[in-house]
Amino acid sequence: MIVKRIGVTNWRGFLDPMEMGPFSERLNVIHAPNGTGKSSLFEAMRRALFDVHHVGGAEIEEIRPWGRKLSPSVFVEFSEGGNTYRVEKTFMDGASAKLFQEEEGRFQPIADGRNADTRLREILSADPPGRGLCRQEHWGLGQILWAPQGELALKQISGGVGESLRSALGMEVSGASGSRLEELVEARFLEFFTRGGAPKKGKNAAPVVAWQQKQETLEQELVDLREEHRRYEEASRQVDDARNRREQARREADALRESVAGLRKAAEEYVRLKNEQVRKKEIAEIARERFESIGRTLEEIKATRETIEGLEKSVATLSGENEQAKADVAAAKALLEKTRTAREVARRRRDLITEKQKTIDAARDYHACRDELTKLEQRLERLEEHETELGRVKKERAEMISPDPAKIRELRRRLGERAAARAALAASQVHLTLTPRKDCEIENLTDAGKHTIKGGSPTVFSGDEVVEVLIREFGSVRASGPEGGADAHRAHLEAAETRIKTLSQPFGSDDPDYLQKRREEADALDQRIAALRKQIEMVLDGDERDSMVGRRKELKATIDDFEGQHPNWRSAPPVVGLLQTEFETFSRDVNESVASAEDAFERSQSDHAAAEKRQVELNGMLKAGQGNLETAGKRLKVLVDDGLSDNDRDKKRSEALMAWQAAKAGVEAAESELNSIPGDPARELEKLEKQRQVMEEEVAHSRDQEKSAEGRLQALAARGTYSRLAACEESLAEVADRIRRESLRMEAIRLLYETVRDAKGALLARVTAPVEESASRMLARVAGPRLGRPIFTQDFVPDAINPEISAGPVNLQNLSGGEQEQLHLIARLALADLLAKDQRQLVVLDDVLNATDSGRLRRVLSLLEEISERLQIIILTCHPERYRALEGAEFFALTR
Amino acid sequence: MSVRFIHTADWQIGMKAAGLGNAAATVREARIHSIERILRLADDQGVDFLLITGDLFEDNAVDRLLIRKVGDLLGRFSRPVYIIPGNHDPLVPGSVWEHPVWAEASNITIARSADPIELDRCVLYPCPLKEKYSTQDPTAWIDAHQTEKIAIGLAHGNVEGLPEAEPDYPIPRDAARRRGLDFLAVGHWHSHVPYPDPDGSVRLAYSGTHETSKFGERDSGNVLVVEIPGRGATPVIECVPTGALRWVSSRHAVNEEGSLEDVLREVRTIENPEAVLLRLSLSGLLFTSDRPRLSSLREIVGTRFLFGAVEDEGLIPAPDDDAWIETLPGGPLREAAVRMREQAVSGSDEQARTVAARALIELFDLKEQSGT
Ligand SMILES: [Mn+2]
Repeated sequence: MIVKRIGVTNWRGFLDPMEMGPFSERLNVIHAPNGTGKSSLFEAMRRALFDVHHVGGAEIEEIRPWGRKLSPSVFVEFSEGGNTYRVEKTFMDGASAKLFQEEEGRFQPIADGRNADTRLREILSADPPGRGLCRQEHWGLGQILWAPQGELALKQISGGVGESLRSALGMEVSGASGSRLEELVEARFLEFFTRGGAPKKGKNAAPVVAWQQKQETLEQELVDLREEHRRYEEASRQVDDARNRREQARREADALRESVAGLRKAAEEYVRLKNEQVRKKEIAEIARERFESIGRTLEEIKATRETIEGLEKSVATLSGENEQAKADVAAAKALLEKTRTAREVARRRRDLITEKQKTIDAARDYHACRDELTKLEQRLERLEEHETELGRVKKERAEMISPDPAKIRELRRRLGERAAARAALAASQVHLTLTPRKDCEIENLTDAGKHTIKGGSPTVFSGDEVVEVLIREFGSVRASGPEGGADAHRAHLEAAETRIKTLSQPFGSDDPDYLQKRREEADALDQRIAALRKQIEMVLDGDERDSMVGRRKELKATIDDFEGQHPNWRSAPPVVGLLQTEFETFSRDVNESVASAEDAFERSQSDHAAAEKRQVELNGMLKAGQGNLETAGKRLKVLVDDGLSDNDRDKKRSEALMAWQAAKAGVEAAESELNSIPGDPARELEKLEKQRQVMEEEVAHSRDQEKSAEGRLQALAARGTYSRLAACEESLAEVADRIRRESLRMEAIRLLYETVRDAKGALLARVTAPVEESASRMLARVAGPRLGRPIFTQDFVPDAINPEISAGPVNLQNLSGGEQEQLHLIARLALADLLAKDQRQLVVLDDVLNATDSGRLRRVLSLLEEISERLQIIILTCHPERYRALEGAEFFALTR
Repeated sequence: MSVRFIHTADWQIGMKAAGLGNAAATVREARIHSIERILRLADDQGVDFLLITGDLFEDNAVDRLLIRKVGDLLGRFSRPVYIIPGNHDPLVPGSVWEHPVWAEASNITIARSADPIELDRCVLYPCPLKEKYSTQDPTAWIDAHQTEKIAIGLAHGNVEGLPEAEPDYPIPRDAARRRGLDFLAVGHWHSHVPYPDPDGSVRLAYSGTHETSKFGERDSGNVLVVEIPGRGATPVIECVPTGALRWVSSRHAVNEEGSLEDVLREVRTIENPEAVLLRLSLSGLLFTSDRPRLSSLREIVGTRFLFGAVEDEGLIPAPDDDAWIETLPGGPLREAAVRMREQAVSGSDEQARTVAARALIELFDLKEQSGT
């Protein structure tokens, strides 16, 4: 398609109708300053050709002139397939479309409205959506031929353009029918697989997935059923085993029962024999008893007779002895009385011993009292002396004045002070010493005193500051000294004297040495008092004086008492030692006589007791002997009361012995019969009986087991597991077959798809080669051979470049901006050249080559000139001067 | 005083029919329906009794309703029936023989022990099996030499001489003579096999199953009508078909264009296809021109027969037959078709060849569909 003329009204910036054309079939440059609307014109052309006229929405709203309610309209005249058409479209309010075809120099309408839209698309073989805006992917060949501003680079090619290119290259890959079949192959593939080749899952899963799931379910079911069938057979075996066990147990129980019956018979026989044996033993025992009884009776008769004889003898002897004993007792008794009296006599003397002892004790006490009294009186005497002395010294001390040492020390100090004060006073006074030759009267004028002084005796007159004396016959003498000072010293002196007076006043002396002596005398008395007190204390020795006096009184009374009892003691005090010796001799004598009397008494007492005991014993023995004799007599009488003779009795005994021997033989016979049976069958019977019971229980137990196993088996048998198993296996076989077939089919479809895809890939790689070749040539002409060969994708999109010196293709981003621009332009031109094989095609270059330097631009222009032999080229630019060099180009200035 | 009876065995009621698709139920049903045919035959022939020598049921755990159904069927029969349990339905606790239906039917005798059963004109010597396997000869106990009446044995096992790895219920070939029997009716093998004595008289035979049970089973689907004229006389045996279904397994090698036509013709001539299970196995070359025939074959086999399977995986596209490929649009499709044909003919393994052949068929179908 090439464009002839174009016009717009109310289109963005173009309010007034604007028309442009007719365009050259070769080169056209539409130029205008920036912002004039070159691109709007290009847009208007596209919308006229591809948009449906009734399109709506914000995007179309934008083409309405700003702020006006005007309907944009456009017309385009173009040639395609040898015919010339005109399309007129108004958008928005009053939208319309009209298509005309030139016939004999005039445009005749051929379609309008939607039909016009549709017809137009058919003519241009474009495939925009049924309604709405056309986008680049719907521009048909325009995708390659028309480079919008800033979009020179070809990003992708859609629709049948690829096919058009391939067919132009004579390298039709699939052709229309091939494409359709390929689509069918792909569609078939996508029924089962994802594009990635994985089997589809979920809602749109391939049927085989469902079959496989069913297979899994059935396989599990089969496993379960087989297990169930196994359990059934197991249960059957268990029942069989239980039956066998029960059978066996029953057989064993039967056998045991028989054994038990046999053994029981034997046991009964054993018991009978045992009883027989016992009975015979009893008979033998009775026989023995009888024999022995007779023997015993005979023995007893004999023994009794002998006893009686002995007893009679001993009774006679005892009777004599008894009489003698009685006489002995009487003698002993007489002796006893005699010794008792002797003992009493001896004992009475013992009281004297006590009395003598008492006297000794009293003598001892008497002496003790006297000694104590003597000592006590001595102490009281000393006490008296000491107390008297103490009273005297105390009195002496009380009468003595005794200053304490501190006062004496102070007195001495005050005396010193007084002397010092006197000296200081004297020093501060005026002294006048007069020594007359003879006695004379002198009057002290200072104090008005009159003094008679002996001749040759110096007399001193003193006065404060001045001393004036009147000496008879002489006159007055006046001596004076410095003023002041004497009063203070005098005050000191007075103070000292006052204190000395106070201190010495109680003692009547102010001589400290005298006072000191007194003090020492007082101290000596104090010491004497202390010593006396100590002595008194020592004499008292913790006693009270009163108690001592009381004691003295007591002692005197006691002594009087003793002397009252023993009056001779007053004149001749007793000698304890003497008394003691006398006492000891006496008491030994008494004790000895008492002891011998007591011995004699005790001897006669025991002799008497012995005699009495002996007599009682003899009497008892005699009585016993007489009793025994009587008993034996009675016993003999009983024993021989059978009316038999001794001979008869011996005969009877022989008979009993024979009977016993016979019974013993019977017992032996029974025993040997019993011994023929080994052991007691009862014990074994008991054991067997137990075994039999156990076995019966085993039978019952087995029966229970059998019943429960049978119950289980019946339940399992009722399930008819095998039939279900068979059904399941049938289903499984069916499913497996389906899966096998489905899988085979899927594998086949996959193989088909992949083989076609691979073959196509290989072919497509071959198809782009001529385009790459042509682009490579153009690029070499513009940029030199260095850039090498551009590489296109299978869909003819320039993808990379293979520079001469590079080992492999490099990304286009690595080229400079100018070179990228040149390469994209060349890629479009190379593809456009292909598309223009059958007819001239319109190429629109909107504001391209901005980054290309003038040197290369020149070569690009040459290329454009050359290629415009086959292409109609419209360049939109705001730099028309760059294209002035284009030979034969039409220039159109765009104005508002 | 002759005896006349029917000898049958191995009914295998409840047998599974895997791989038969929808026909499975019918196949299982057929084994029951054929019983009625046997009973009618028994009436027609006026036999004295019916002997079933083992494996009446496929398994002791078959559906109890099946036992009831078969038991009722036999119970309604007017003549005595003698049955021995076989190795599939041995007499064990919980077996099919404990079902009350057997006690309810007065004409049926399940031989539960190896003891002679004395009848008016003959004595039966049944050998019931009580476990699945045994190395013992089940007939060993029989001693019929002293019997004056006709002596007939019932046993189930492997007659010696059959290819058996281990002895499994082995029965000597001369068991009948050795035990003093006039006839030993044996079950276990599904094919009818008579064992003639050197003099040509047959005293031991497998009746075979009454209804064929699988593909490739020879001489099955019969019962034996046996008449023994008297003690020691040669039995007269008639093998009577009772099976309703035919199991046809056929293989065809097709190597020439059009040879599928022969197969088609043959399949079309099979009578009563609704009672036939057909397994058709094809190998060789598949020509484009034969594709419609293959479709027809599949159609006929799949719809007319009780069961039909065409195993055509052994078919590979004929190498020289690339006419349709030439009609494909030039480019990747044709290229791919050529590659796949190559693989279908000389792929590395069977699976690869099968998949490639199948892929070609898919492409062919898609091509037909696209109308190219
Ligand atoms: Mn069997």
